[in-house]
Amino acid sequence: MIKTDVIIIGGGATGCGIARDLALRGIAHHLIEKGDFAAGATGACHGLLHSGGRYAVSDPEAAEECIRENMILRKIGEKCVEQTGGLFVRLAGDSRRYRDKFLESCDRVGIDTELLSGARALDLVPKLNPSLEEAVRVPDCSIDPFRLCMLNAITSKNRGGVFHRHHEVFEFIKEKGRLAGVRARDRFTGEIKDLRARVIINASGAWGKKIANLAGHDLPMNLSKGSLVITNHRLTNMVINRLRPPSNGDIIVPNEAVCLAGTTSISVDSPDNLVVGADEVDIVTREAGRMIPEFNSTRLIRAYTGVRPLLLAEKDATDDRSVSRGFRIINHQDGMYSILGGKLSTYRLMAEKMVDTVLKEVFDKTVACQTGDLPLEGQEFLSGYPLSTRLKDMKDIICECELVTRKDVESVIDRIGTKSIGDIQHRTRLGMGPCQGGFCTYRALGIIQEKGKITCDESMGALREFLQKRFRGIRPALWGDQLREEQLVEGIYLNIMNMEQQ
Amino acid sequence: MKTGKYDAVIVGGGISGLMAAIDLTRKGRRVAVVSKGDPICCLSTGCIDILKGVDSPRDGICDLPENHPYHLVGAGGLDRAAGLFVSVMKEAGLSYVGNVGQNRWILSPGGTRKQTALVPESMAHGNVEENETLVVIIFKGMKDFFPGYVTAKFQNADVYEFDPGNGSTLGIATKFDDPAFQEDFFKWFKSQKISKGKIALPAVLGTKPQVFGELAQKLDRKIFEIPTLPPSIPGLRMFKALKTCLQDAGADLYWGRSVESVEKDGDAIEAVTLAGIGRSTRIEARAFILATGSFVSGGLYARQDGVVKESVFDLPAYVPENRESWFGHNFFETGHGIEKAGIRVNGSFQPESTGIPNLFVCGSILAFSETMKYGCGHGMAIATGVTAAEKCEDHLA
Repeated sequence: MIKTDVIIIGGGATGCGIARDLALRGIAHHLIEKGDFAAGATGACHGLLHSGGRYAVSDPEAAEECIRENMILRKIGEKCVEQTGGLFVRLAGDSRRYRDKFLESCDRVGIDTELLSGARALDLVPKLNPSLEEAVRVPDCSIDPFRLCMLNAITSKNRGGVFHRHHEVFEFIKEKGRLAGVRARDRFTGEIKDLRARVIINASGAWGKKIANLAGHDLPMNLSKGSLVITNHRLTNMVINRLRPPSNGDIIVPNEAVCLAGTTSISVDSPDNLVVGADEVDIVTREAGRMIPEFNSTRLIRAYTGVRPLLLAEKDATDDRSVSRGFRIINHQDGMYSILGGKLSTYRLMAEKMVDTVLKEVFDKTVACQTGDLPLEGQEFLSGYPLSTRLKDMKDIICECELVTRKDVESVIDRIGTKSIGDIQHRTRLGMGPCQGGFCTYRALGIIQEKGKITCDESMGALREFLQKRFRGIRPALWGDQLREEQLVEGIYLNIMNMEQQ
Repeated sequence: MKTGKYDAVIVGGGISGLMAAIDLTRKGRRVAVVSKGDPICCLSTGCIDILKGVDSPRDGICDLPENHPYHLVGAGGLDRAAGLFVSVMKEAGLSYVGNVGQNRWILSPGGTRKQTALVPESMAHGNVEENETLVVIIFKGMKDFFPGYVTAKFQNADVYEFDPGNGSTLGIATKFDDPAFQEDFFKWFKSQKISKGKIALPAVLGTKPQVFGELAQKLDRKIFEIPTLPPSIPGLRMFKALKTCLQDAGADLYWGRSVESVEKDGDAIEAVTLAGIGRSTRIEARAFILATGSFVSGGLYARQDGVVKESVFDLPAYVPENRESWFGHNFFETGHGIEKAGIRVNGSFQPESTGIPNLFVCGSILAFSETMKYGCGHGMAIATGVTAAEKCEDHLA
């Protein structure tokens, strides 16, 4: 039996942000996450740190929050934010009146803009559609959601916070009509842990409704699936948005060596077992190709989908895009709070409001929030973006695509004692480049084996699981050069290694 | 512009094209091979998989679906093709063992057993039972071979580590080409008091074919190589042997060249022009053989709109309709719809419904080969390469 003050369910940006905030305000807490960090919408988004431009016209309040948080995050999280800047490009046929409204709205909420001629925009991003009309420059950034979560977790751990990753909450402990704690199962060992606390915070995003249901509550939320594709190289150094009302396929975000493009918006019932449709890939590539024509001839290395947990407005809205992306805190009056809605860019603000609420209502205290003033701890462990620092003394490269060395892999294994290839991927970017782990996963698992962390059978099992997961991501984008790459990888694992269906 | 005139021009320098070319040169024909680069068989195990899941590949091909290209080859054709391959390899100093009538097993780098038909001499002892004692020699820092995957399946296995001063597969193999390095390895081996049992090593014993034989004799033990992840040295040795054999037989090789344009005289192909730096080359022939392989080697290209293009002659290619149907949802299930894609041919290995009288097609570009599903890649390459060459010879005669 573990006793603490606060139990947080969910290890996405919101949950990790709450953990950091609680830690900085001196409140003991445990966090439970059924996968790794950022396993839900946080890790499956486009990695955009909004300037707020996207929402300026439709939701000025959200836009204002975005720009404020944008300025804070680039200051406190230097190593996980890349200050790329962004463009909203207006193509032939896109409304000029919308442009005017856009500029005016940005101005009103304090987003710096600069109207650029087509030629000037092409200077900045040479691969843009040369027939663009004009572009508006905004302070968009690219953000690494995995790193963001991990850095928040480090601050928490430095102050006694405990993280139970790969643990699934399957039951609430009830006492005198109140929720006194949770029971969670280790997904690797099956071991069951009982945790008790004064308050439970449900920050499980798209799974929020499932958790609430488990406690006997309902949540007013909608799930909307958004699919994205990843290119095999970086086509732009700036975030590219389409200057028109929000619609499918209107964003391209550079991220390390690759670009992400999205998205779609399709209402779904469950956040589990989602598949990206070929039609979704076609929509995203077609629209991205309008902004950057080279997109149509670039190899896609993967498609993926995430679920946006959207707040249901008072009156039942039908179009998912018009549902507010603001967030809400719900007190279930039985020892549990749910925080729902929101977006990656405003995770810190959500955490602040959540912690303010429980401090006041449960702990009857007021302690000032410091999450916006102090830098994220643990950034010294990260390489940061300049490749030159990484190349300096690099030998024994295990993942050639992302330049990950044997030492990098070994140090993650030593530090967190992991058995999971996903844990290594998220911490080093191993397997996230053009070959998508086709070559390096066998090696990484071999190293985990050498370190005595897992047996051969376990590593073969992990390899199988990885290859299946990888295939799920790649399958929707299989044509052209990516199909060649896929058949080569099939040749390695199904022919040379003879890993057959079990 | 440079020019050349041949009896037959083979486009594609993989096993299938090279075997077709060897067959024709041995019949006295003047032959050229055009290849964009080194073929993907360099990434393979170097073993000839003819058909998996059966005891006898020779008998098993009868039970394949009706439209499988093996039916156009027949058991007799398979025997002739395999015979030619084995004799060509022997001449090159790279002996192969095995039999088209009997599959055998080798040990894979994942510790699984893999079925194949013909293996290089260096894998002849690769059929080990799990109750046998196995000695694995590994190389320090080698990143594409982890003995744990292999030894886990054995009740008795010992691992010894030699430091070659290099971590790459090709780097270590190149070192083994040097007699002084072989001597160092031999001395180390003697000093280790290595326990009894068959000795397995990752396949790095020299890029040259003779290194394995020399070492095996010196060590005086049952020793075998385990194929590695790409780049694969046994695949490279096989390719080099085929290429050298063809050069020795006087064929012209246009390596690193791709076909830029095709000239036709009526329905027949008259010449192809090869792109080059500075100047291009026009080569004329009485017959052409297309052996450019499937998707991986670029003979076929699948478009986002669901169309598959053949890249040299723009032949009509078969592909299952609708991109959704190309792949199932399970990575480990073979026989994805896309494996059936390719060029449909008649009994003379000529592309169907094109009317081109002097073009023959062989290898994995053939429709319905499903090489992954049937484990028949190199077998198909050799069998259809030689048979297509025979049909081409009939045409030339």
